[in-house]
Amino acid sequence: MSLLFALQSWSGWAPFVFIRDSKYGMPAVQSFHLMGLTILLTTVLLLDLRLVGLGMRDYGLSWLAQQLKPWTLGALAVVFTSGLLMFLATPGKYLGSHPFRLKMALLCLALLFHFGVLRRFTAADSAARSRRVNVLVACLSLTLWFGVGWAGRAIAFIP
Amino acid sequence: MSLFEWCQWLQHTRFATAISESDYLFPLIEGSHILTLPLSVGMIVILDLRLLGIAFCDGPGTKLVLNVMRWSKIGFTVMFLTGGLLFVTQAGKAYGNVFFRAKVISLLLLGINAAVYQKLFFPKMAQWDSDGAPAGAKFCAGFSLLFWIGVIVCGRTMAYQF
Repeated sequence: MSLLFALQSWSGWAPFVFIRDSKYGMPAVQSFHLMGLTILLTTVLLLDLRLVGLGMRDYGLSWLAQQLKPWTLGALAVVFTSGLLMFLATPGKYLGSHPFRLKMALLCLALLFHFGVLRRFTAADSAARSRRVNVLVACLSLTLWFGVGWAGRAIAFIP
Repeated sequence: MSLFEWCQWLQHTRFATAISESDYLFPLIEGSHILTLPLSVGMIVILDLRLLGIAFCDGPGTKLVLNVMRWSKIGFTVMFLTGGLLFVTQAGKAYGNVFFRAKVISLLLLGINAAVYQKLFFPKMAQWDSDGAPAGAKFCAGFSLLFWIGVIVCGRTMAYQF
């Protein structure tokens, strides 16, 4: 109850009121969310494609992972910040939303998998692993991240 | 029939209303349109960053283009199909919308920009792979980056006005 109360009082703070009630506040924040999403999923996609050998084969796996890392982290910062702004400006839209809960659950899994598994798989150019395992890791990674995206989109359509 | 009347007619065809009145077709098409951003625009952004010398600079640029372009073709095919379907369902509303118009004009300019790059700079890419792109190629990359951001912003904002 105290969380709900705190969220409601925060959402009355002027910057949040501006995001919620001004004509271009919410579209602007969501545009940042989409730009961050684009970069984040592009870096994940490139790494997964490289892992299974379907793209970027001219580059070493660990080199690519190294190059993509700052962009993944930067994009995560953008989606987190813009997502938090949306949540704090209109908490009522998200607190009771089933797709939102699913999105947060999938997000936790995607982050754990990304930094716990995928990053380890792409840290070295080991050719010893079987391709089947690489394909499984890439598929899980893409399923989790795009699952986060679809659940996020569903917030607008499903209660 | 004027263009506006045609757009209104299009929006009220049985095909268009079937999509917009379906519980799941419109969300599925819109979701696909948004979640194909990484496979289309995202790939181009990677290339732009490479040309501008901001990221992925150690590797050869020509190969990066070929790697990335192959995937972005699939991405852009999905983008135009889903975007076309979204337009059909909202053609009448989109016609007069300033953000929709800005998005279409930006896409046209991006197409011209890509064609210019393909014609003038792409064939000579191997020559300047190691020491960085010439100013003209960098201009194309900067233009692309800026206008793709504009396309995303316009696309998101126009939906709020329908």
